[in-house]
Amino acid sequence: MDYKYKYVMVIDDNQIDLYIAEMVMTTTQFAEKVICVSSAREALAYLEPLDEKPDELPGLIFLDINMPEMTGFDFLNEYQHLPENIRKKCIIMMLTTSLDENDRKQAEDNQFVKRFLNKPLDRDKIAQLT
Amino acid sequence: MAASCLAVPKNNEMSAQQTHQTIKNAYNAQVKQKSDKLMNYFLPSFFVVGLLLAIFYDTWPVAIGVGSLSLLAYYSVKLFLPRSDTYQYIVSLVFGIFMAQFIYQMHGLFEMHFVAFIGSAILITYQNWKLQLPLALLVIVHHATFGYLQYIGYDKIYFTQLDYMTLQTFIIHGILATVVFFICGLWAWQLKRLNERQIELTYEMGRYQEEQFHQKILLRSNEELKKSNKELDSFVYSVSHDLRAPLSSMLGVIGLCEMGNQDAFMQKNISLLKSSIKKLDGFIIDILDYSRNSRLGVKRQEIHFNELLADISNNLKFMGADEQRKVEIRIMVHNGVAFHSDQSRLSIILNNLISNSIRYQNPEVSNPFVDISVQVSEAAADILVRDNGVGIDRENQEKVFNMFYRVSNKSVGSGLGLYIVKETVEKLNGMIKLESQPGKGTELKIRLPNLVN
Repeated sequence: MDYKYKYVMVIDDNQIDLYIAEMVMTTTQFAEKVICVSSAREALAYLEPLDEKPDELPGLIFLDINMPEMTGFDFLNEYQHLPENIRKKCIIMMLTTSLDENDRKQAEDNQFVKRFLNKPLDRDKIAQLT
Repeated sequence: MAASCLAVPKNNEMSAQQTHQTIKNAYNAQVKQKSDKLMNYFLPSFFVVGLLLAIFYDTWPVAIGVGSLSLLAYYSVKLFLPRSDTYQYIVSLVFGIFMAQFIYQMHGLFEMHFVAFIGSAILITYQNWKLQLPLALLVIVHHATFGYLQYIGYDKIYFTQLDYMTLQTFIIHGILATVVFFICGLWAWQLKRLNERQIELTYEMGRYQEEQFHQKILLRSNEELKKSNKELDSFVYSVSHDLRAPLSSMLGVIGLCEMGNQDAFMQKNISLLKSSIKKLDGFIIDILDYSRNSRLGVKRQEIHFNELLADISNNLKFMGADEQRKVEIRIMVHNGVAFHSDQSRLSIILNNLISNSIRYQNPEVSNPFVDISVQVSEAAADILVRDNGVGIDRENQEKVFNMFYRVSNKSVGSGLGLYIVKETVEKLNGMIKLESQPGKGTELKIRLPNLVN
């Protein structure tokens, strides 16, 4: 089996959306393993120790915006303080239901965000990424 | 989120002047009333003085006759012509007559001439210099005739105790009297002018304070409006997210079902579910667009039509029911000059129009397309969206811009799309025109002003 990514991380407080992302990416052979975390804090806690083991870092991170406690943008603020090793390896995609113009603009203006995608993640969108 | 600011209403100059005049009139009425009241003391006092003077030379008939005639003249004119100022001129005359009466009663006692000056001073209270004139005139006539009569030897009129009055004395007498009348007139005039100026100043001050007060209220309500707009905006933001998030989860799960199921019956049911959810989602988006358009102020930024249209057509790539074909989106932009407008509103307009063209494609034609052409000038952008879709009947063309109007049962939209387009175009001070032929296609022309300044 040939997977596009070995590890892909999804940060979303909605369990169903995590499940959808995981299923779509694994069945389309987009990712070998999907790391599902349900909060931005959890994601940071996962990423930080991997400074030493860059091979285990996710090549792609799908980030939701609307989350309790820490939003997607809060995550991006923290993310910029992570070691360069980590930041170099990970590509961040916004994955959200938001159609808000400000959200889109803010995401596109962020240096770490590659693209702004609307939910749900499906086969067609994955195909576009490959 | 900027709320549109309310304009400060300009005071109507005309009505302001009227109010001003009303205040002046009220003040003048007050002056008149107070002065009239004073006259009610002065005039009877003059009458009483006449009675007292009668004691000296036994001039009772003159004191009672002339005095009461004077009072009668004054009060009757005042009674019959209360609105006119005539009675004030009568007062002036009456003072002159009292002077003549007193001179006579005291058999030409020189000091009695001063009575005219007392009258002249009293008249200042009316703040009308012209009131000096009747008195002055009467004094001149009186002095001339009585002086002459005495001069020719008719001594029963008791004009003066002097046997002989030189012309020099007479002239000095006249000059001094003139000066007194003139100064009293001047004071009256100046008093009136000062008071009017005072009224004007007070009035201006009041108006200024009032304006400040209104300004303050306006500012406060503007602040409140901004705040509630902001709150409403974040409310709409959360509600739309909370409503749409479960829908997208549903769509996601349905997508998974589609992937794992090859059964035709299930596939059909799944696609029905999907279109239903998309419809609901579209409806929420429409309401969101509508609410944003109606509340938020117009933002101005440079519009890059090529990028904007590419974005929109990219987003609409997966639109339409599964059995529908892809619609070719052709974009043509002529933008020699920069165009400024509200990007999100423009996006709402174009999104709605293009998705309409996709949604209402004509199954009869072999190459469904939608042509979007944009022509930008210094003044405006002309946007033309033309398709070869099903078109709209002539009788329905008026109604398609109505809220919740849907042409047929087959319409899959919310019935809000073109309504929102029209509202949004209007918010941008633009115009929209629809031309359509059933079976041939639809053409929408939009002109939006270039908000370059």
